Amino acid sequence: MSSELEHLDGGTAELIANADDREAEEAASRPDEPSLPPLEWLRANLFSSVLNTILTIVFGLAGVLAFQRLLNWAFSHEREWDAVRVNMRALFTFTYPSSQYGRIWITLGIALTLAGLSLGLSRMVGQGFSLKRISTWFMAWGGAVIAGILLVQPHAKRSANGEVLLDADFEPVRESFGTAMADRGWWWLIGVLLLVVGVTMWVGLGDLKRRTTFIGAIPFTLGVLAVLVSTLWWFHWGNYGEQGDIIEPGRTVKDSAKLPWTAMWVVLTAAYIVGRQIAVTDRAGSVRVLVNFSWLLTPFVTFWVILRDPAIDYAHVWSTDLPMAVAFIIGGGAVLFLLTKPGLGEVGRIISIGLFGVAIFNWVAAFFGIYPMLQKARISFLLLALIALAAHNFAGERKQRLRFVLAWAGVMAILHYLVTMINAPSTVDAPDEFVGGFLVTVYIAAFTMIFSFPLGILLALGRTSTLPIFRVLSTIYIETVRGVPFITILFFFSTFLNIFLPDGMEIEQLAAAGLGFALFSAAYLAENIRGGLQAVRRGQYEASDALGLTTVQRTGFIVLPQALRVSIPPLVGATISTFKETSLLAIIGIIDFLRVANSVVPGQTVFLGVRMEGLLFVCMIYWVGAYSMSKFSQRLERHLGVGEH
Amino acid sequence: MSFSDATAAVSDELAARDDIIVCDGIDKWYGDFQALKGVSANIKEQEVVVVLGPSGSGKSTWIRCINRLEQHQSGRIIVDGVELTNDTRNIEKIRSEVGMVFQQFNLFPHLSVVDNISLAPIWVRKRPRAEAERQARELLERVGIPEQAEKFPGQLSGGQQQRVAIARALAMEPRIMLFDEPTSALDPEMIKEVLDVMKELALGGMTMMVVTHEMGFAREVADRIIFMESGEIVEAGTPEHFFTNPQEDRTKLFLSQIL
Repeated sequence: MSSELEHLDGGTAELIANADDREAEEAASRPDEPSLPPLEWLRANLFSSVLNTILTIVFGLAGVLAFQRLLNWAFSHEREWDAVRVNMRALFTFTYPSSQYGRIWITLGIALTLAGLSLGLSRMVGQGFSLKRISTWFMAWGGAVIAGILLVQPHAKRSANGEVLLDADFEPVRESFGTAMADRGWWWLIGVLLLVVGVTMWVGLGDLKRRTTFIGAIPFTLGVLAVLVSTLWWFHWGNYGEQGDIIEPGRTVKDSAKLPWTAMWVVLTAAYIVGRQIAVTDRAGSVRVLVNFSWLLTPFVTFWVILRDPAIDYAHVWSTDLPMAVAFIIGGGAVLFLLTKPGLGEVGRIISIGLFGVAIFNWVAAFFGIYPMLQKARISFLLLALIALAAHNFAGERKQRLRFVLAWAGVMAILHYLVTMINAPSTVDAPDEFVGGFLVTVYIAAFTMIFSFPLGILLALGRTSTLPIFRVLSTIYIETVRGVPFITILFFFSTFLNIFLPDGMEIEQLAAAGLGFALFSAAYLAENIRGGLQAVRRGQYEASDALGLTTVQRTGFIVLPQALRVSIPPLVGATISTFKETSLLAIIGIIDFLRVANSVVPGQTVFLGVRMEGLLFVCMIYWVGAYSMSKFSQRLERHLGVGEH
Repeated sequence: MSFSDATAAVSDELAARDDIIVCDGIDKWYGDFQALKGVSANIKEQEVVVVLGPSGSGKSTWIRCINRLEQHQSGRIIVDGVELTNDTRNIEKIRSEVGMVFQQFNLFPHLSVVDNISLAPIWVRKRPRAEAERQARELLERVGIPEQAEKFPGQLSGGQQQRVAIARALAMEPRIMLFDEPTSALDPEMIKEVLDVMKELALGGMTMMVVTHEMGFAREVADRIIFMESGEIVEAGTPEHFFTNPQEDRTKLFLSQIL
C-alpha cells in the first residue's frame, strides 16, 4: 500500500506541475481579468483549431496510455514492492549499524534545525498559495486517483493456494472489471474525498478565494509534512528488515519510525518559529551569518564527528594538538593584529608576501619530503598567509582589528578541532563500507557544493583577472578539467591519488571521490560564474574605483554579488546535476543509493533479481530532490529580482 | 592654446587661491586616435569650472583622467598636491578625495540607497557603520529624498537616482567633485532637481568640474567656462565673457549651434 501511494506521487507529478504553471499565468493577469470557466478554457486552449485539436487528442491519448502502462506495471501482482520496503534501511544507510541509528537522527536533527532557522530568518518574500490554487491541487490529485482506478487493469485470478490461473492460451485469467472496481474501496474513497474537498473549496469559499495569499509556502509545506508524519501513527506502512533479512511480523515501520520522525518534524517547526522570532529583532543579521557559517561546518561535524564517533587519544591532544592550536591562535593573532594597523603601508605587504612565500615553500617541501611537519601545521600556516595577504583591507580602529583577530582565533579553533576529530579512528563498527546508501549521496553532494562554490568563484575571478599568472593558471585548469570525462577524473582520484600525495598523507577513497567531484564541478561552476562576471556593467567598476574601493573590496561587495545573482539559474542547474551525478559513485565501488538498489537488493536470496522496483524508487527520490532544488531556485530568483529594475 | 591662457581669465579673488588641480600638457591616445592634445589648465580651490564642447571633443576623457579612470600617456596631473602616477597608493588617495558623478548614475543595484551611500565610508574611511548610516541619511536629507533611504536604486526615478549618486560621492567628504554629463540621461522634467542640488553644492564652496550641455547652469553657476574641441582647449573665460564676447571662431560656431 505504501509504495502504491508513493508511486502515484510520481505519476501525477506532471499534472501538478502543469497546474502550477497555469496558476502562475493566472496570477499575472489578476485581479482584473477573471479566469475562464473550465469548458471555455478547454476550448480556448486545447481545441482552438483543427491542428490544436489533433495535437491535444494525440498527445492526450499517448499520455493516458503511458500513465496506464506505468500504473499496470506498478500495481501488477508480479511486483515485489517488499524489496524496497524491507530494504529501506539498506537503501538509506547501507551497513551502518542500527544500534547507532541515534547518530543518524542527530545528524538529521542538526540539518533540520539549521534548515528551519534559515527558512525563518530568510528575507524572502514568498508569495504563498491562494485558496484557489490549493483547491486546484486537491481536484487534480482526486482526478488523478480516480483516473488511475479506472485505468488500472484487473488483477489476474488466483487459485486458493495463490497460483495464477491460466486459460487455454496460457494467458492469466483476469478478474472482471466490475470486481476490480468494487475491490478498490479505499482508493475510491481517497479519490472522491480529494475531489469533494477541492470542489467545496472552489465553490464554497467565495470571498476567501479572491485572496492571492491564503497560506505561506513554508507553513503549507510544514502542514503537508505534518499530515505525512501523522500517518506513521495510525497507518502500518509495512514491515522492515535489516540488511535484507526476511520481513518479521513484529517489526513495523510504524513502530520504529513514528517517534523519531515526529521529533524531526517538531525540531523543524520549532526552529522555523524561533527563526521567525529572531528575524524581527536587531540581531537577525548576526544570527543569519552564524547560521550560514554553521551550514558550512555541518558536513564535517556530522559526517566525521557524529556519524563516526571518533576515539580521541587524549594524551596526544594534551601533548601536541592543544599546544599547536594555542600557538597558532596567539602567534597568528599577533601577526594579524600587526598587519591590520592602519598606515603600515609597504612593510605590511612585504611581511604578508613573505609569509605567503614561506607557506608555499612549506607545501612544496612536503611533496619532496624535505622536512617533516604535521599537515595541520601546514594547513594553518597557509591559511594564515592567505588571510595576511588580505589583511590590509581590514585595517581600522583597535576594536575592528580585535574583532578580526577573534575571527581568526575562531576559525583556527574550529579547524584544529575538526582535523583532530577527522584523524581519530572511528568507534562505529560498520561491517563493510563505513556509510553507504542515500547517506553517502547526500554527503558527497553537500561536500561538492561547499567546496566547489568558493573554488569556482576563485577560478572565475582568476580567469578574468588582469594578472597574467592567475589568468593562465585558471584557464589551464578549467580547460583541462572540462576536456576530460568526469569518470576518468573519478577513477583517477579514487585509485591513484594516494600515489601523488606526500609521505605520511593519505586520503580514504570516499574523501578522494568527494575531492574529485568538487574539483570537477568547480571548473564548470567557474564558467557559469564567469558568464555572470561579464554581465556586470563597466560603470559598476568605474563607480567602485571612483569611490576609492580596493580591488578586493570592489570584487567582494560590488562585482561578485551582482555576478552571482545573474548566475543563479546555471548554478542551480550545476548543483542539480552534481546531486544526480553522485550515482556515478557506484562505478568506483562505493555502495551508494543507486548501487544498493541495482546490485545489493537483487543479490539478496529473498529478492533475487528484483531490480526495477528499487530503481523506480531511487528515481523518485532523486526526482523529489532535484525538483525541490529547482523550485527553490525559482523562488530565490524571484526574491533577488526585487531590488532590480 | 597655451597653459597660461586657459587660466588667465579668472577673477582676482579666485586668482588669489591655491590651485587644487594642475593639468600640464596631458596627452591621451586611444590606439591611433588622440583624444587629448596637450590639455593644460589649473583649477583653483572652490572654483566651479564648466567644460563645454561638442560630443567627441574629449571633455569626458579629460575629467576621467583626473581620478585616473582613464590613464593619460604624457603630461602631468597633480591633484591636491599629489601627482597621478602608476603608484596605486597615490591613486587610492586621490580617488578618496575626488568624488565623481556619472552620466548613467552607476548606483549599485543590489544595495539599498543607504548601503550605496555608506559602503565606501565604512570600508575606505573605516567609519563605524552606525555613524556612516547616520551620515548617509543626513546627505539624503540634503539632496531632498530622505524618504527613499531603504529603497533600491531600481525603484527610484532617474532624477532621484542621480541625487543618490551625488550623495554617495559626498559621503566620502571629497574636496573636489567631478560631474560627467550628470543630466544627459535624465528625462527633461527631472533635470532641474539635479541641477538644484549641484547649484547648492557650488554655493557651499565645493570645487567642481562639470561636463554638461546645460547652458543655463553654466551661465548661472560657473566661475569659469572651458570650451574644448578635438581634444584641445579652445577658449576659457568667465561665463559673461564666454557667452557674450567669444574670441575664437570655433566657439562662435558652437554657440550659434546651441543657443
